[in-house]
Order: sequence, then C-alpha cells, then structure tokens
Amino acid sequence: MKVVPSRSSEWVSPVTSQKPASAIIEIDRVSQVFQTSARKDHLALSNISLTIDEGAFVSILGPSGCGKSTLLYIVGGFVSPTSGVAKIKGQAITGPGPDRGPVFQEFALFPWKTVLGNVMYGPRQQGVRASEAEAQSRALVEMVGLKGYENFYPKELSGGMKQRVALARTLAYHPEVLLMDEPFGALDAHTRTRLQNDLLNIWERDRKTVLFVTHSVDEAVFLSDKVVMMSKSPGRIRQVIDIDLPRPRRRNELLLDPRYQKYVVDIERMFDESDEVGTSS
Amino acid sequence: MMSPAAVLKRAAPVLACIGLLAVWQAAALVLKNDSFPTAVEAIRAIPDILGDKEALINILASLRRMAMGFGVAVLFSIPLGLLMGRSRAVAAFFNPLLMVIYPVPKAALMPIIMLWLGVGDITKTLVIFLGVSLPVIYHSFEGAKAVEEKMLWSGAAMGLSSLQRLVRIVLPAALPEILTGCRTGLVLALITMITSEMIARQSGAGNILFNALDMGQYDTVFAMIIIVGAMGICLDAIFERIRARLVRWSEPQFDMPLSFS
Ligand SMILES: Nc1ncnc2c1ncn2[C@@H]1O[C@H](COP(=O)(O)OP(=O)(O)O)[C@@H](O)[C@H]1O
Ligand SMILES: [Mg+2]
Repeated sequence: MKVVPSRSSEWVSPVTSQKPASAIIEIDRVSQVFQTSARKDHLALSNISLTIDEGAFVSILGPSGCGKSTLLYIVGGFVSPTSGVAKIKGQAITGPGPDRGPVFQEFALFPWKTVLGNVMYGPRQQGVRASEAEAQSRALVEMVGLKGYENFYPKELSGGMKQRVALARTLAYHPEVLLMDEPFGALDAHTRTRLQNDLLNIWERDRKTVLFVTHSVDEAVFLSDKVVMMSKSPGRIRQVIDIDLPRPRRRNELLLDPRYQKYVVDIERMFDESDEVGTSS
Repeated sequence: MMSPAAVLKRAAPVLACIGLLAVWQAAALVLKNDSFPTAVEAIRAIPDILGDKEALINILASLRRMAMGFGVAVLFSIPLGLLMGRSRAVAAFFNPLLMVIYPVPKAALMPIIMLWLGVGDITKTLVIFLGVSLPVIYHSFEGAKAVEEKMLWSGAAMGLSSLQRLVRIVLPAALPEILTGCRTGLVLALITMITSEMIARQSGAGNILFNALDMGQYDTVFAMIIIVGAMGICLDAIFERIRARLVRWSEPQFDMPLSFS
C-alpha cells in the first residue's frame, strides 16, 4: 500500500507534464474560517491543497465536522474560501456552474416536479429542446433503475429512490465533475449497498471525475481510486492513499480480497490512532 | 363509493348551516323582537334583494373592488415577501415598516384616505389592498425563508441566475405557504370590503346593509348578512379547490381516514 504524506508535492503542486492524466481540479492552500455564534473564529479548513485528476474517483474521508462538506462546497462554488484558491481546468472557481454537478445527502429534489420533470430540469435550462431532453431523461431514469416512476412526485418515493433521481438529475446536464456529499448517508445499509454498486457501474461506464465525501471507510475504499483522509480541528489533510484495486470492482469479490481488507483495516487504524473516528456527519 | 364517514364529513358544513338556522329560528320565535326577524323571514327577503337591479349593481361593484384590491395586493405582496425572505437587506428595509402597519386596523386609516382620495372606488380598493397585503407578504416571506438552500444550489449549478432561482425555485417551493396567506387574505378582503362600505357609505353590499339598518328593515339586514356570509363561504371554498390543485405535490399522498370525524 502506498501511503503518501500530505506534504508531499506529488499531488499538491501544479501537475507535472509527464503525468498521463491531467488535473481537472486544483485546490491551492485553501482555508476557511467561520464565525461561530460566540463571535469566535473557527478554522474549518486549514491550508488544504489537493489536485484531482480528470476521470478519477476521489473520496474525502474524515470524522464529522472536519470540513468535508465545506471543501466540496468550495469546489462547487457555493462557498468562497477565506483564503486560497480552487480551480477547475486552470480557471479560478468563482461560483456554481454546470461543469460541476452536486448530489447532496438531503437529495434537494424539486418537490413540485415529477421524477421526469426533475431530471429534465437541467437540460431544459441549458436550452435542449423539450422532446430531446425528455428522451434523454427517460433513458437516464431507466439507467438509475426507476423506469415506471417517471410521473411520480418526490414525496411518493423512498429515500433511495430520491437519491437515484438526484443522481440522474445531475447526470442529465453532463457536468464534468460530480460532487457528491455523503449521498448515501441517509439511506439504510441495504439501499446504500445497492446504490454504491449502481454508482460504480455508471461511473465505470463513462468515467466522470467524482469527488465523493463520506465518513464510511468501506465506502471510500470500495469506490475510490484515491482516498483523502482528513482530520479535525482544524480540518486538514492527513494523508492521501491510492487505492490500487482492479476495476471493474465487484462487491462480492472485493469483500473477500485481502488487499481490500488491508486498506480498510489500515485506514481504520490510522483514524483510531488519532482517536477521531467519526460516526456521522 | 364514499364510506359513511366520508359522506358525513362532506355533509358536515351543510349540517352546521342548517343547525345554525334552526337555532336562529327558535331563538327569534322565543324572543319575538322586531329587530330580530326569524331565519325564514330573512331567507324570504333574499330573492327581493337579488331581484333588485340596483342592489345587484351594488353587490357587483363590491365584488369588483374586492377582486381589484385582492388581485393587486397579491401581485404586489408575493414578490415583496419572496424578496424579503431571500434577501437580508430587503427584509431589514421593509420589516420595520410592516411591523408598524401590521397592528393598525386598516379601516382606521380610512378617514385619512377618504380625505385625500375621496369616498370613491380608489379609497375602498386601497383599504382592501392594505388588508390583504400583510398576510400575503408574511406568508410569502416565511415560505421563501424556509426554502432549502441545497435546492437553490442545485438550481445554481444548472445555470439559473438569481432572478431565475427566485421565480423558478423559490416561488414554486414556497407556493403552499403563499397560498395559505392568500386564503387568509381573501377572507380579509371580504371583511375590509364590507367595513370600507360601512365607513364610506356610497355604494356596495355594506351600504345596502347599513341603509336597511337605518330604515329599520331588519329582514333585509339579516338577508344581507346571509348573502355576504354565503359569498365568503363560496369564495373560500372555490379558492381552497384551486389551492389544493396547485399544491397537490406537497400534500400527503393519501387522505388519512380520520376515524373519529
Ligand atoms: N455556515 C457555517 N457557519 C459556521 N460554521 C460552519 C458553517 N458550515 C460549517 N461550519 C463548521 O465548520 C466545520 C466543518 O463543517 P462541515 O464542512 O459541514 O464538516 P463535515 O462535512 O466534515 O461534517 C464544522 O465545525 C461546522 O460546525
Ligand atoms: Mg458534511
């Protein structure tokens, strides 16, 4: 297992040209200070530097409150960092844009739209003709396993189904980067496993760049090419671990694979050593 | 097929009306007072009023003012309330103003408005406007404030500008709350309509009512009360139907059978 300390310049600094994959997202010395109600400054993120290669599946793993969501929101352009800069394809991020598609733990579906209406929303906004947007959206709804539910309203769906719709809604406008913030965190274990499998299948098909926030070690190892381990107070990167497991990954094979098990155990031990394993976010 | 409970639920308002009229009838028969006609006498006077051309014109004029006041108030208050709910600066600017206006009975402002604008349609419509605005602003504000931020972020990521987000996300998301405010506003419109005509006696349903009172035509007074009341009940029922249609997506999917109702 290759464990790289966070200070290493290998993935911190500007990408070197000999790398085959090119950097799509660069986070450069980003810090985030929040004002707490006691009027004290709270350093949520401290000097975060991270480069994400195009087409990579990168997980951000850490205990609750270590700033995972904040980091994702900065990349999304929903929050602007107190200092430092985040870039996409060399351009400083100044706000949200359709090149970065978020999927939130809270689903955040439009409740007044049907499943199909939600999925069509992005393409329609981008000026795709209604008939074309509908055809594409129907295909996406089918891809996330919701054929037959096109005309259901979000309130009529289970949590897992809502998250499938949210994923389809984001995929529908073809963002280059998926930003997923504990998307399966609110789901029961069984549904969560199924969605992880489905997400992997979808991802292995078109290899979009994914930045995936989770506090589950298994989830991070199962899905990712790279796991960014964060620690708390202040939120900073502890370690970045490359997950060298073959793809396509099949859950039943992987769980029996000693390499997978070693990653999980090692990462858990590293969190245990600093006694800061988070249980929820 | 409706279950007996559902039939009873549907019939409940009608039964309540009949019950009320029966109590009225009994009380009037017992009291035998000139200024308290029986329910039957009052109901008998209704066709006379509705058959009178002048009275009809008056009532329609009332309804027109009410529709104007309500319509303009809604068109003005929803955008204002939504903006206040989404922008701290807008809320900070308008909040003190609204807090001062809120507890003032709008009819109490009528003498001043009459002084400036006369006793015509404009004054009365303005008072209705004022009466309707506040609940609609308040509910739009609360609705807009409660819109989930992640929903707006999702919209922003799709490329919606802040104005588009206000119209295409905040407005529909807050619609259930907005319509609750509008329903209150509609009843208030009726109340302020009658009140305004009571103060500026010139035309309208309120004018008929108070003229009849002056002339001691008590059956007409009570008939007008029934007519105005029926108007209120009908308007509310129609509005409720429209509201329920518009926000079907937010209501529980199935009507819970309330076994004790
Ligand atoms: N808008 C905010 N205002 C104040 N503090 C915040 C805000 N957002 C996050 N924080 C704080 O920053 C820290 C990191 O939060 P977050 O990014 O949500 O962590 P995580 O997603 O890892 O659980 C937490 O201590 C949280 O309380
Ligand atoms: Mg979080």
